[in-house]
Amino acid sequence: MELSDRELFIEQVREHHASLRGFVRSLGVDPLWVDDVAQEAFIVAYNRLEEFDRDRDFGAWLRGIARNLVINERRKDARRKRILSDNLTDVLLSTSSVSDAEEKEIGDRGLAKLVALRQCLQSLPEKSMRMLKARYEDENSAQDIAEEFAMNPPAVRKALERTRTALRQCMEQKMQVATG
Amino acid sequence: MKHEETTDDFLNRLLNGEADEEVLSTLAARAESDGELAARLSDELEFSELVRQALRVDVEHSGEHFEADLASDDFSTDDLLERVREGSASRFECDRVVRHLWEHPDKVGDLRMKMAEDEWLREALVESKGEEAFVDSLATRMWAETRKDHFVADFTKRLDEEIASHAHEDEAENVVEFPESNRGLYWQMAGMAAAIIVAGFLTSLWFAGGMESRAESAASIVKSSRDVIWSGDIEPDLEGGLKPGRYQLDSGVVALKFRGGDEMTVEGPAVFDVNEDESAFVHAGVALARLSPDRKGISLQSNGLDIQEPASLMGINARSESSTEAVIFKGDGGVCMTDGGVCRELYEQEAIKADRNKDRLVDIPYNPHAFLKAWELLSGVEKNLGAVRIEMPGSEIGPSSSGQSEVQVFVENEAFEPEQDMEVDDVRPGEFASFETNAGQALQASGQLRSYLLQLWPSEGEDGEEVEASLTFDHEVVGVIYSSDRLASSDQSVGTTMTHAGEEFNRDRGLDSSGDLILLSEDRRTINLKLRGDGERVDQVRVLVALN
Repeated sequence: MELSDRELFIEQVREHHASLRGFVRSLGVDPLWVDDVAQEAFIVAYNRLEEFDRDRDFGAWLRGIARNLVINERRKDARRKRILSDNLTDVLLSTSSVSDAEEKEIGDRGLAKLVALRQCLQSLPEKSMRMLKARYEDENSAQDIAEEFAMNPPAVRKALERTRTALRQCMEQKMQVATG
Repeated sequence: MKHEETTDDFLNRLLNGEADEEVLSTLAARAESDGELAARLSDELEFSELVRQALRVDVEHSGEHFEADLASDDFSTDDLLERVREGSASRFECDRVVRHLWEHPDKVGDLRMKMAEDEWLREALVESKGEEAFVDSLATRMWAETRKDHFVADFTKRLDEEIASHAHEDEAENVVEFPESNRGLYWQMAGMAAAIIVAGFLTSLWFAGGMESRAESAASIVKSSRDVIWSGDIEPDLEGGLKPGRYQLDSGVVALKFRGGDEMTVEGPAVFDVNEDESAFVHAGVALARLSPDRKGISLQSNGLDIQEPASLMGINARSESSTEAVIFKGDGGVCMTDGGVCRELYEQEAIKADRNKDRLVDIPYNPHAFLKAWELLSGVEKNLGAVRIEMPGSEIGPSSSGQSEVQVFVENEAFEPEQDMEVDDVRPGEFASFETNAGQALQASGQLRSYLLQLWPSEGEDGEEVEASLTFDHEVVGVIYSSDRLASSDQSVGTTMTHAGEEFNRDRGLDSSGDLILLSEDRRTINLKLRGDGERVDQVRVLVALN
């Protein structure tokens, strides 16, 4: 069965959006603006597609575009910035290059990571899941979650950290299994 | 006697932004030999910088920030890293993290990886961060920024061509087919110009009768789409009156008129309040408001946003739970946050978002796409048939962004009073008008008009495509202009930007002799067009309707 244009497009965006968004966030972009910057990178890529070198990895090319967009954020007027802090982004950018192994770790196989993560989430205890949703779905701070769960903030931070560590291990394990 | 300037005079000139090179060099020389002056200079300049920062829009709550910064001294490095990951860290806290990272460069990669993982967790957990939402949002933005609504096909095709590893070579080439021209339509139009019944997009008219019975209503429905479904505790009465209260529109689009004449179009699903005092509160959904020509000014509010100075055409998009967007299409406006008191002036084709999680106003790209349906109802084009595109306000008068042969409809000026009589072409109801020299008629300068520009951009190649279209307006057509000279001479009266676009594209305008035809219906509400988009000329017809 032939895929429609829209389905093909979604496939292609699916392949790269998750890794791109993770990469963008890793450069200190405000969580609320991550999608915005990632979308801008897709649009720039669309407008410059003829410049794309076929021998290169498309994901790495996208990350290069996103990296330049983040660099440009530092030059913007403060109220238009989409990054948390110039200085923080400077430090994070200083360790980012498009081709090194770390970038590949952050930027590659985003979709596979996302699928693995979704599977791992299903096995979380109910309380951990609620806490995680309060943090990531409702965007509550550790302080707010502490009040909601009648805990103190450091305990919430620890609990979230433990959950994330467990999820990370689960995700890596599933990906190892998947790649043999 | 000339007053000799003291060090204080020089310093004041520096602080007042009046220092020239002489002042600067004098102060520098004196400070070099006077430690006390050097310290004073440093203090004054530092204070000036503080004043600058305190005045900047993004630090209105500097007191709160200052207290938060003081409190953040108590945070451990882990806490600070957590706050960076939350996105809640202040700049002061970010700087503390930066210091920590410079001392421990090996931790930078770790922080980046954790932030990336946080992002993936959001994507996995939060529906609005899901793939579908991302693709939809990207589609909207692509449309706004590339002005191409066929980008899905275009993007796919180009990626297929460019990225060998992702190519789907077996796929048939994706061609967006142009809808077949309805050959029978043209003759049908000729026979029943006065009573044309079209099945185009939406609109059933609520008749104006029974206005007396709407006396208690704060607003009344003047138009609505056919798919309107209301729910909730109260609904509009049978004559379309809306008493003050909360309304829930599950689907469809409705255009409301307030007692003062201001209009608001709401697209469902939406929840909104209509208030006694000519104000509305949009809790959810999309709303587009147009001020009446006397600019009385509707008061419009939404979650977190208060449009305190209404522009002549503005929109609110309250589809998201976490933020509300305000867009100014025409005129200037002033927008404030309802709680924080933060205000911004907004100008034409600017947009802003009230981020309710962070109590702040954020500039966002101007993107009118979300208001397309609401605008189609508000534009005054009741019905359309054939290849027609209603362009959004502020659209540049140029080739169609879809790349297809279609009649573009630009609302050039929503309400204006010509200062002098306008010369229009001789178009008589029920009779065909075509390219030919005609004596024209004088349209007297009395009352308010709205101006539309109907345009078919010539297609590439020698044989242009024939396009037939029919447009029914909500007001009577009082003037039609299709000859090149009269189009040019009326540009200024209607305030169009076509002059610039015309220069840019260097095209002739108006109807030509290749078979372009116009037919105005007997009731002067419907214009039927048969245009051939060939040659260098841009087929253009200006339609003037009387608003009162």
